[in-house]
Amino acid sequence: MNLRSKLAVTCAKATSTLIKKLNRGSGVTLPGYVARLIDPAILSTMSGMVREKTIVTMGTNGKTTTNSILYHALKAEGKKVIINRTGANMLNGIISAFVLATDKHGQLDADYACIECDEIASVRVLPQLKPDCALLTNISRDQLDRFGEVDITFQKLKTAVTSVPDSTLIINCDDVLSYTLAAESKNTCVTYGINEQIFDEISRSEIRESIFCRTCGKKLDYEFFHYGQLGIYRCPSCGLTRPNPDYTAANVDFHDEVYSFDMDGMRIDSTARTPYNIYNTLSAYAALMALPAPTGHFKDMIESFDYGNNRESIFTIHGARVQLHLAKNPIGFQQKISLVLKDSNPKDVIIQINDTYQDGEDISWLWDVDFQYLADANAATITTNGTRRHDMGLRLKYEDIDCDSTTDLKGTVETLTTTGTKNLYVIVNYSGLYRTNHLLAGMDDNRKEAGEK
Amino acid sequence: MKKLTIGHLYPDLLNLYGDRGNIQCFRKRLEWRGMEAEVIPFLSGDSIDFEKLDIVLLGGGSDREQELVCQYLQDIKIDFQNYVEDNGVVLAVCGGYQLLGQYYKTEKKTIKGLEILDIYTEWEPERMIRNIILNSPLFDTPVAGFENHGGRTYIGNHTPFGKVFFGLGNTGKSGYEGVVYKNVIATYLHGPLLPKNPHVCDYLLEKALRRKYGEEIQLDPLPDELEHKANSYIVERYSDKKYVLKETIKRYT
Repeated sequence: MNLRSKLAVTCAKATSTLIKKLNRGSGVTLPGYVARLIDPAILSTMSGMVREKTIVTMGTNGKTTTNSILYHALKAEGKKVIINRTGANMLNGIISAFVLATDKHGQLDADYACIECDEIASVRVLPQLKPDCALLTNISRDQLDRFGEVDITFQKLKTAVTSVPDSTLIINCDDVLSYTLAAESKNTCVTYGINEQIFDEISRSEIRESIFCRTCGKKLDYEFFHYGQLGIYRCPSCGLTRPNPDYTAANVDFHDEVYSFDMDGMRIDSTARTPYNIYNTLSAYAALMALPAPTGHFKDMIESFDYGNNRESIFTIHGARVQLHLAKNPIGFQQKISLVLKDSNPKDVIIQINDTYQDGEDISWLWDVDFQYLADANAATITTNGTRRHDMGLRLKYEDIDCDSTTDLKGTVETLTTTGTKNLYVIVNYSGLYRTNHLLAGMDDNRKEAGEK
Repeated sequence: MKKLTIGHLYPDLLNLYGDRGNIQCFRKRLEWRGMEAEVIPFLSGDSIDFEKLDIVLLGGGSDREQELVCQYLQDIKIDFQNYVEDNGVVLAVCGGYQLLGQYYKTEKKTIKGLEILDIYTEWEPERMIRNIILNSPLFDTPVAGFENHGGRTYIGNHTPFGKVFFGLGNTGKSGYEGVVYKNVIATYLHGPLLPKNPHVCDYLLEKALRRKYGEEIQLDPLPDELEHKANSYIVERYSDKKYVLKETIKRYT
């Protein structure tokens, strides 16, 4: 490491300390910016110091969970692993993760790096990171006000992976967009997919990206859809066919609210409550095998893995069960609705929709979610909240579903947990997550007792 | 019972930005008034009998999808033109708006349009993405929505749908947005357009009902408090100069 890189690391660390001292946030992106200002090549230098392998995870849905599985799987093998924090998945956030993990001599002590990367940022991150493995979860519409169109996202990702021809791609071959991307790049490719139908009708989401062949423009034939455009497809014109995946989950069973399945000769009794977490598990495993990384403890690790990831927290408030869920795009929201419907008990639901830049300023995606199912969700009340609560209210009104709105989230939670069904779902999009999590944690019965003692 | 038939064109190719909300709005606002709505989705390649249709919705798609849809449009071009000239009601949004014109020149190709409107669109790399509010001479209430387009649409001598109060509109410079021609409303506004702008929905429904059942038809008012709240939230937000300044600063930093 040269003097310039050392200076970059030192200044980045000082920045981080300063931010924390001044209490101006968690300080996960600015240090990276400072480091890059001093040494533009800092990320290559840092990633070169990782002793064994680097994996980058990209895609619309499931990035954070998949990256977390990779992290815990490698930890379970006794490895030292670097990971970037949730949300810090742009260039500066990724650099921060590396520089803040160094020791006082600016040296990195890590066997592996597991990096989650935003699709737009990938174009700049990948050439510097030079990952051994690039995992792509899926591609679907998300934050169109930022990305423009799904095709633009596709092109960005393609540019990113073709800039690192030595990286092995881990591809969900049930997603025709991901599979076409892999085929159009020259990278080595390992596929994963699921051959049986595991998604129920409610979680299937009718809104899908183009199911027209990107090679010849003809409409694809589908044997069935998993959700969105994911499924078993074939092009009747040019012969593009969903391949037989290298890694698959079979004999999928849903029992006592959780899934179990066969994967590479193992029976996994997972804690996953939603089918898309089977995909996340499968993709992480495929990546580990492709690296190759040791996987001796994978089964034990995954069977006690918490898929919640802070995004699906459960609280007890006035003795009522309160669940917090994050839903930030149509596919993700559809999965949450399916989850709500799997619970047949009476419930109250709060939906918070904001439209900050982080959330996406365009809220038209709400109309791509099949909210009509909520009519059968045994919901005693539905309350909308957030800057776009009236748009959310309209979405429900046009399905003939009654709802109220509130600007006082705390008061509404207070009321519903004392006089309601004692079973409350709070669904929020991105910018409300941390604040709502904090609010609910502060109201939690256990937290209060602990504080009073 | 009175009934309208709504043709949703090519939802397998054009289904961006919550187009489904416009369909749902047409449907529900008829049903709530005791009328019937039949929605027929026409997939790419299906033949379309325009004589059976009272409202046509042409939605948004990506540039690539528009290129694919272009070939199907050429097959229905004459019928579609006749439908419009016969006062057929059309709502065209985003990509659908561009396709009603002469052509859309994208980065790589020129997509031939339906030539129903004497307008053309040219792509520029900087996309125009933000909330948008119009004042339209057709309505007392402003029209609020969201725009997200790379194309700049030059409308020549056509009548615009509205004057831009906040946002960018057809070209980002002209100060106007969309086109109104006969019973066609063509616009970049999605979000989707109709649920937050029930006055636009009712305007189109009334045109379609009058064309089918006679000029004396009047729509009963509906309780639209929630619609007005959603609409005025956006209008008030962008009437606040301080907020607009804050957002502008954020956008450019």
